[in-house]
Amino acid sequence: MNDARARELDDAFLGIVANWAAGGPGCDEARFDELARATCGYQLERNAPYARYAATFGIDPAHRPRTWREIPAAPASAFKDAVLATCDPREAELIFHTSGTTADVAGRHCIARARLYDAALLAGFDRFILPDRAKLRYLNVVPNPRLRRHSSLGYMMGTVSVLRGDGHAEYLFDEDRGVDAAGFVHAWESAVADAQPVCLAGTAFALVALLDALEANAQRFAAPAGSRIMETGGFKGRARVVERTELYARLETAFGITAASIVGEYGMTELVSQYYDGVESRDSTIRVKRSPPWLRTLVVDAEGRQVNDGEAGFLRHVDLGNRSSVVAIDTEDRGYASGGGIVLLERELDAAPRGCSLVAEDLIARVR
Amino acid sequence: MQGHGELAAGRIVAALAAAAERWCNADFPPRIRATRAVMERTGYTEPVVDFALDRLFESIDRSAIEATIAGELGSVAALDGFVERAGRPPVSFRGASPAVIVASDTTIGVALPALVFALCAKAQVTVKDRDDRLAAAFVETLAEEEPALAQRVTVEVWEGGDPAQSRAHLSDAQVVLAYGSDAALRAIRAQLAAQTRFVAFGHRTSIAYVAREALCDEMAAISVARDAARDALLYDGDGCLSLHALFVERGGAIAPREFAPTVARACDHVAIEFPAGFRRAPAAVAAYRRAALFRAAAGRGAVYDGIVSPHLVAYDPPVDEPPPLLPRTLAVYPVDGPQEALAYVQRHALPLEAFGVVAGKRPDVEAVARQSGASRIALLGRLQAPPLGGEHGGEGRILPFVRAIYRQ
Repeated sequence: MNDARARELDDAFLGIVANWAAGGPGCDEARFDELARATCGYQLERNAPYARYAATFGIDPAHRPRTWREIPAAPASAFKDAVLATCDPREAELIFHTSGTTADVAGRHCIARARLYDAALLAGFDRFILPDRAKLRYLNVVPNPRLRRHSSLGYMMGTVSVLRGDGHAEYLFDEDRGVDAAGFVHAWESAVADAQPVCLAGTAFALVALLDALEANAQRFAAPAGSRIMETGGFKGRARVVERTELYARLETAFGITAASIVGEYGMTELVSQYYDGVESRDSTIRVKRSPPWLRTLVVDAEGRQVNDGEAGFLRHVDLGNRSSVVAIDTEDRGYASGGGIVLLERELDAAPRGCSLVAEDLIARVR
Repeated sequence: MQGHGELAAGRIVAALAAAAERWCNADFPPRIRATRAVMERTGYTEPVVDFALDRLFESIDRSAIEATIAGELGSVAALDGFVERAGRPPVSFRGASPAVIVASDTTIGVALPALVFALCAKAQVTVKDRDDRLAAAFVETLAEEEPALAQRVTVEVWEGGDPAQSRAHLSDAQVVLAYGSDAALRAIRAQLAAQTRFVAFGHRTSIAYVAREALCDEMAAISVARDAARDALLYDGDGCLSLHALFVERGGAIAPREFAPTVARACDHVAIEFPAGFRRAPAAVAAYRRAALFRAAAGRGAVYDGIVSPHLVAYDPPVDEPPPLLPRTLAVYPVDGPQEALAYVQRHALPLEAFGVVAGKRPDVEAVARQSGASRIALLGRLQAPPLGGEHGGEGRILPFVRAIYRQ
């Protein structure tokens, strides 16, 4: 990487991650603000599609945002309309493909240096999933990263499995064939025989499919002590949606893992960093998601104005790890700020169905 | 030859038309109550609900009902006895009873035209009404016109999600005609007897094609734009007849790029007549707008917002995406010819209700409209005003409710 400014920004980011991973504060508001604006300034010069979009908000290299809250956020969907990268995509160490929802087109998130992603991932995962530093067996109901190298979730769990696991990770989901329930049963029984606690990880959709398959055979399992589950949302574009509380109750019943040991992760292919359920809310029906200090979120209204704490809106993420793409991203996810974290809303509350018009979900269901 | 105590078809038609005529009066007290109830249930503004009720009840007139029956059955008299047919045995039609009509929870009075024809068929009818009790109110008016006719109707509200309640109403039906989502229709179908006739009207959408000849000058373009805006904004774009994709042909005096902002301005005019049922754009519209703005910043397409009310016109969005099936949101696609519109519809497997066209002879456009899968081809500006005599969703109006008896 022959880019001094990029190196400077990356070093600053890695320093924050290392500090937080070692128990330090990571970064305070002022440091976050400074680095977010510096990253934005860098992207205005290196990321032409983003710069053009930012210009429509009056932001350009000569008129930079005064605070990190003013950084123009690119819509997440823009990743499929343009190459949003500060580097040549051919030189990116990681390229993750976003899942298409209604369109067939996948977006690409180019990450210049895998080290940034890995550092952010492991620091967050250690803090929120592995505070006991357990060496778990990872039963990943996600695509195998060797087969789906552009799956961010596959890469995430692959990295964790290799660097934090017991060396016997399994991948039990394939996008073409779905969930491998027989493979899961075999892997689970093997873990039980070894008295090895497991981490069952997957999207909510994949976990539901697994539960459906296991419940069809009336199969239940008693997890080895110390086992846990990481659920990572993921009903986007799916015709069938279940409530999180219902899903967690089914997971508890099927695997004997208490709800407090089921951790919701919230991430996006377009982000380097992740949110996780805060420890203090895991016994509650309302789970507050927490992030590392280099990932902050504004809750905004449809016009992009920040709303008050407790008021629902869209989530706008500002992730210092996104140095090589776009530091601020507008999502279609809705939630509200609560006690320094965010609460995700599972469905759009302000749009009850009306009329007999086709809706996108109908179309997806028919096409699938 | 009529059965004992049976009303003649002509008398039934007259009673239905008379009841509907009373409902055409916006000051008719039951209509005033119903208007409020429909507004409360749907969230649509009063002008929109008034438009819906006007269209609904004005269409139920004696000549339209009789013409529809005659068109589908050969003659109204065939409902009262045998009638001769050229080259075929004489025929009579009896109502398939009991008939059940399940109205969708998200539409206005959709069950009533079906009820009209089920009664003309002399079927015993059960209507699943909605919370606004519009069907029940109309049947009360019908009872004042012709008590014996109203006695053939049972109007009820039951919980569709409750299998026991649904089964009780559906299991004995000879005919079930239902409106709703794919999931709702699947659930209903699962509860029917093997030989029950099931006519399902699922969710669909509508598109239109503006031929270059229609954009011959600015005034013509404004007129076409107003028609398009009306079709897009009525019912907040929530209906199956709501316009969501407008294909505009290049080569006219007004280019598609210039026409799109004209449509947006026309939407502002229409929004005065038919205000939005929501004050701020729903979340999905806001997200779609942001994505369109991003593309526009990159020089691909353009976005036009509403001034007097929330609406969105997106010019030249990606053709590899389906149209924005969102409230008060219209996509305008520039094309070189109607085949491009057809390719788009086929690519996204869009289930179409109506295909809008502009006046003028363009056989190639009509040919594409016929191939598109739409069950109706209509002039732009008239998409939301289907005549009673037209088939709904490609199905006959009275045909689903009758069984033929021929005499050899």
